[in-house]
Amino acid sequence: MKLSIYRFNPETGEPPRMQDYDVAPAAGDKKLLDLLMRLRTADDSLSFRRSCREGICGSDAMNINGRNGLACLTALEGLKEPVVLRPLPGFPVIRDLIVDMTQFFAHYHSIKPWLIAEEPPPERERVQTPDERERLNGLYECILCACCSAFCPSYWWNPDKFIGPAGLLQAYRFIADSRDVATAERLDFLDDVYRLYRCRTIMNCTEVCPKGLSPSHAIERIRIALLKRSS
Amino acid sequence: MARPVRPLPVFLNLLRIRFPVGAIASIAHRVAGVLLFLALPPLALGLDASLRSEAGFEAMRDLLSSPWRALVGLILVWAAAHHLLAGIRHLLMDVGIGGGLAQARASARAVLVVAVLLALVFAAGWLT
Repeated sequence: MKLSIYRFNPETGEPPRMQDYDVAPAAGDKKLLDLLMRLRTADDSLSFRRSCREGICGSDAMNINGRNGLACLTALEGLKEPVVLRPLPGFPVIRDLIVDMTQFFAHYHSIKPWLIAEEPPPERERVQTPDERERLNGLYECILCACCSAFCPSYWWNPDKFIGPAGLLQAYRFIADSRDVATAERLDFLDDVYRLYRCRTIMNCTEVCPKGLSPSHAIERIRIALLKRSS
Repeated sequence: MARPVRPLPVFLNLLRIRFPVGAIASIAHRVAGVLLFLALPPLALGLDASLRSEAGFEAMRDLLSSPWRALVGLILVWAAAHHLLAGIRHLLMDVGIGGGLAQARASARAVLVVAVLLALVFAAGWLT
């Protein structure tokens, strides 16, 4: 199978280049990550992140044939050759397919991704009705792989000011939580031309989410919550 | 923390990214908006000239009758149609209609196709 992979080594000072590889998948190689691991036994200078190899850790997000995705969830079968692999668009490249996610996680941190509840915790858990729990579905599953934010034109042009689809989906996860008491403060923070309103509903985020989530829908819910509050 | 002195490279070559139909409709929306904005002053001046006198009207008609300028007109008609349709699409999405991925893809495709069709219908009317 033919691959063309983005290579960058910060130590040489040379600009990034594309390197061609030809590697035969062994029996049992089902996903792109399997092939990358095989490739790395032949060329141990090739750098990429990976951990769980089953779409839970979100480490191996990359641009695969022009679309962001997880290597471990991308089937080899049906991939157009040469398979062109590049780092996540718009993120500073540390080495090969490894990007600097500092800013991405700073945005995540800014939305206070934890439950804010004033009263001391009860003896047992903070209970929710089945309906209240249902509202978290499609939100809590986010693995913060950054496929969405790195495919969002609004995030490309304003990575420092726009929170991006991943952070906004996480923000709505806590707004929607019946146990959280800080909804008003959370909405105050998001009510900003850059943080929330840079979203132009292009929906690239929802197109590429490897978990099948819809950040654009979460953003729509935040906007509606703000609208209802202002009227 | 040891960091390289050189700025790190960023991959953001838009020609190497495979855009979904919604992104294409969105960038076309922007391009159409810029074209309409730039075209507004000359069009307003032309309208003013055509309304001022019969000679002015004839002069403007002659100016617009060449095929080359008709092409410019055609592009502007496309721009107006696309901008209007894409804007209505966004208004509907803002009130919660058509926000699902399948519907959004279908409406983006519809906007792209219908805007071109409207421009062609207009061109057919223009030439006859």
